[in-house]
Amino acid sequence: MPPSYLGEFEQIVLLAVVRLGDNAYGVPIRAEIEKRAGRPVSVGALYATLDRLEAKRLIHSWFADPTPQRGGRSKRYFKLLPKGLQALEESRDMFNRMWQGVRLKGESDA
Amino acid sequence: MPEHPPQLAERLLRWLVGGRDADAVTGDLRESFQTRGGGAIWYWRQALSCAAVRLSPHRRVLPGLGHDFHHALRTIRRNPGYAFTAMVCLALAMGVNTTLFSFLDSLYFRKLPVPEPEQIFQVIRHGTPLCSWREYMNFRDGLRSFRAAASLSAGTYVEIDRQTVNLSFEVVSANYADVLRLGTTLGRWFAPDEDSPGSEPAVVISHQLWSTRFHSDPAVVGRQLRIHDLMYRVVGIGPADFVGDRPPIGVDLWITESSIQSTFMARGDADGPRVSLIGRLSPHATFENALAEVRVIDAAFTAGDAHDPRASDPALVEPASGFLWVSGRQYMKPVVSSMSLVCGIVLLIACVNVANLLLSRAAVRRREMAVRQSLGASRARLFRQTLVEGMVLAAGGVALGIVAGWWIGRVIESLLPAVSTQAYVGLKFDIDWRVALFVCALGSASAILFSLPPALEAGRDLSPALKGADSRQRSRQREIYSLAQVALSLTLLIATSLLIRALLHQQNIDPGYATAHRLYVNLWASPKLFQPEESAALFTNLLQQARQLPGVREATIASSLLGSEVTSACASADASAKPRKLNSNVVEPNFFDLMQVAIVRGRAFGPAGTLGEPPAVVVNQTMARTWWPGEDPLGKPVWLGCGPAARRLGTVIGVAKDVKYQDLNEAPTPFFYLSRRQDAGTGFFELIVRTEGDPYLWSKPLLAVAQSGGPKLHIFELRTPQDAIAFDLRGLRWQTELMGSLGFLAIVLAVIGLYGVVAYSVSQRTREIGMRMALGATSGDVLWLVLGRGLRITAGGVAFGLLLSAVAVHWLRSYLYGLSPFDPIAFSAASLAWLAIAMLASWYPARRATRVDPITALKYE
Repeated sequence: MPPSYLGEFEQIVLLAVVRLGDNAYGVPIRAEIEKRAGRPVSVGALYATLDRLEAKRLIHSWFADPTPQRGGRSKRYFKLLPKGLQALEESRDMFNRMWQGVRLKGESDA
Repeated sequence: MPEHPPQLAERLLRWLVGGRDADAVTGDLRESFQTRGGGAIWYWRQALSCAAVRLSPHRRVLPGLGHDFHHALRTIRRNPGYAFTAMVCLALAMGVNTTLFSFLDSLYFRKLPVPEPEQIFQVIRHGTPLCSWREYMNFRDGLRSFRAAASLSAGTYVEIDRQTVNLSFEVVSANYADVLRLGTTLGRWFAPDEDSPGSEPAVVISHQLWSTRFHSDPAVVGRQLRIHDLMYRVVGIGPADFVGDRPPIGVDLWITESSIQSTFMARGDADGPRVSLIGRLSPHATFENALAEVRVIDAAFTAGDAHDPRASDPALVEPASGFLWVSGRQYMKPVVSSMSLVCGIVLLIACVNVANLLLSRAAVRRREMAVRQSLGASRARLFRQTLVEGMVLAAGGVALGIVAGWWIGRVIESLLPAVSTQAYVGLKFDIDWRVALFVCALGSASAILFSLPPALEAGRDLSPALKGADSRQRSRQREIYSLAQVALSLTLLIATSLLIRALLHQQNIDPGYATAHRLYVNLWASPKLFQPEESAALFTNLLQQARQLPGVREATIASSLLGSEVTSACASADASAKPRKLNSNVVEPNFFDLMQVAIVRGRAFGPAGTLGEPPAVVVNQTMARTWWPGEDPLGKPVWLGCGPAARRLGTVIGVAKDVKYQDLNEAPTPFFYLSRRQDAGTGFFELIVRTEGDPYLWSKPLLAVAQSGGPKLHIFELRTPQDAIAFDLRGLRWQTELMGSLGFLAIVLAVIGLYGVVAYSVSQRTREIGMRMALGATSGDVLWLVLGRGLRITAGGVAFGLLLSAVAVHWLRSYLYGLSPFDPIAFSAASLAWLAIAMLASWYPARRATRVDPITALKYE
């Protein structure tokens, strides 16, 4: 099976899910991305990507029991699936390979 | 700090996302909203971002659409009757709208059937033609942005096989076919020098004329044809699909300008006839370039002369599409608006019908919907499913509708007045891709329209449905739909009955003279070819011959006859007064006797008299009353003739009864008769015979008599006065037939709707009816229970329909020929007819209700 390539935003979302572990639902995922990637994320774009990742079987989601502080609405939690982990690893390896030996203008060897 | 996010945004989001996902998304947003401490704008932006993503085509917004589609097909297969009814209702409405659209298309949008028609435009003025022939010749070769051909439409008589027919022709420049890039069926178009003076007169005849008058005979090319006293050589036959550049007015012949200069078009105008232009844009030129160039040319026309009428009427450049005939477009406007309205009503009725059917279905399936909803289907999902079902029905309706539209188009074409001797009217009712596209768009729009009520129904809270209850409100909704249908179709029915009444009224108008067993042939003795004495002798001779024909009792001659020709003349009551224009009739003395026009005072013309002597005049009652009020008209002088030089003094010898002279609708107008013995003998004359039995049996012998008048005498139509009058009424008859068939269609649709509502209410109330019968209700009681429901809806519909009609009939006023739009007979007949139809529609379900077996009904679930 050919490796499934991840888009940039997909990668960011997957990483956020990994970082958050058991607490990965909409609000913290957005907060994590905004904090670390420094870019605003609209709820529409986020859920669209999460749905797509789930359809690709990279993540799995489930609904938790409703909580009162959300007006009695349930949370949808996300968890990385093995295939998602593999996709992340492949992406990271690909980038590493591409960066190897690359020196941009004005940069010194670190 | 606001506790709650904007409710509307939240609700929108929930509706859009649907299901448990909606919970998660709104929950997330609410949490963030509270954390960040409010911000309605922020919330709205988030909600809209969700909407944008959901609606974006890249997202699979429609999971399971295929499933919905299968589900719809399965539902339809399970209830073929319901689906079939819905599709037929839609197909009928689609059909009439297809026809309407192809009509509008040919009126406004259809391009000329020539290569690259979008480059073609016409240069016209509203009031006067663009320029003279000479002016056209002067600027033709200097044009840069377009190539222009000049054309001028006219009508003339052409002799074909010894019979003269009235044809429409176009005088065109020799480059006409070149500019339009026209081909031919046979032969060729004009050569470049064929519009220069001295070239042999050449004619190209239309495919239509070739096939109808010349039986598609290829040997026609090269033959000579007499057109207005001049012999023309036929050089080619036009292409089959081209009926001229002024559709729908067809052109029968094209001739070049050189030939007409010498004959009848010149009228002393040294610059030649006035022409319009049809142009084709040069490559890379735009309409703006063409318009600018036309403006410059136009300014040059009027530069030297401020009194030129063209100065106040600027030249227009219009793309050639639809009716190029500006006044025709204006004339059709009321027809178009009333037809659009009626077709729209039919479509609306059909949509209401289908909505009603879907509502009934939805009611039956409420349990199913409720179960699906409780198992997690979102409202949006159920909504969508109903919509998909509607779409599937609409697709069936569209497919059937295109077939129906084609068929209706054929029927209307066959109903169109057959104008055989006049220009071919090229209205087209074809189905092309634009029509198909229009019907598909219409189908989708109607699907949404009629799916909305049941879909909204499906979106509602369905928990009571799980318990098997049907609400009263919903049956009320269906009743209101049905009522609206009754009201709309009653309006059409009233319009139809008004038109029928107007038609009957017109047909019953007595023209004032005998029409049965009479036959006439219309003849023309051109003043250019005949001396008055020669023509008078010729007509006397023809009259003698006609009298000799077996089966002809008597024959006469008149210059005016209703439905054919009316001669106009000038007269005044005294020598010093300005002559007034009025209509007259130059008749053979026995005319009054043969046509049974009564002489109410004085006497008719005597058999004696010579040309040039002071004429005797018979006036009609209106002339006697208005010209000499309160006096005895007999013996009064009448000055005849328009110019002072040609005035002659006549004496009134009799008063004839008023009859109809020009059309059946005319108000009585002054009119006078002269004896043919005393008046000039050239011009139009009708040779009228009174026959035994069917007058058309004598048409051949009468035609033979007319032909014996020699080649100079032109022969026009041969008809009975009855047919001439019927022809006069063709427009009204067509309108009535059209409105009648659309009205009938609307009633059929409304009856289906009403029947559906009553039948459904019976099926819903089976238990109740059984209970009533078990408690002692007779079948008569039950019958009335059900009939009463149907009648109640109808009565409401009739009441609304009457109100609606009172407003709508104003549109019809111009077609009613004086009949009041509030004609009580038409209104009451239509209402009673609807009540009777409604009784019939409710009768069958009512009968079924009386056959309910109480035991079965009580067990009925």
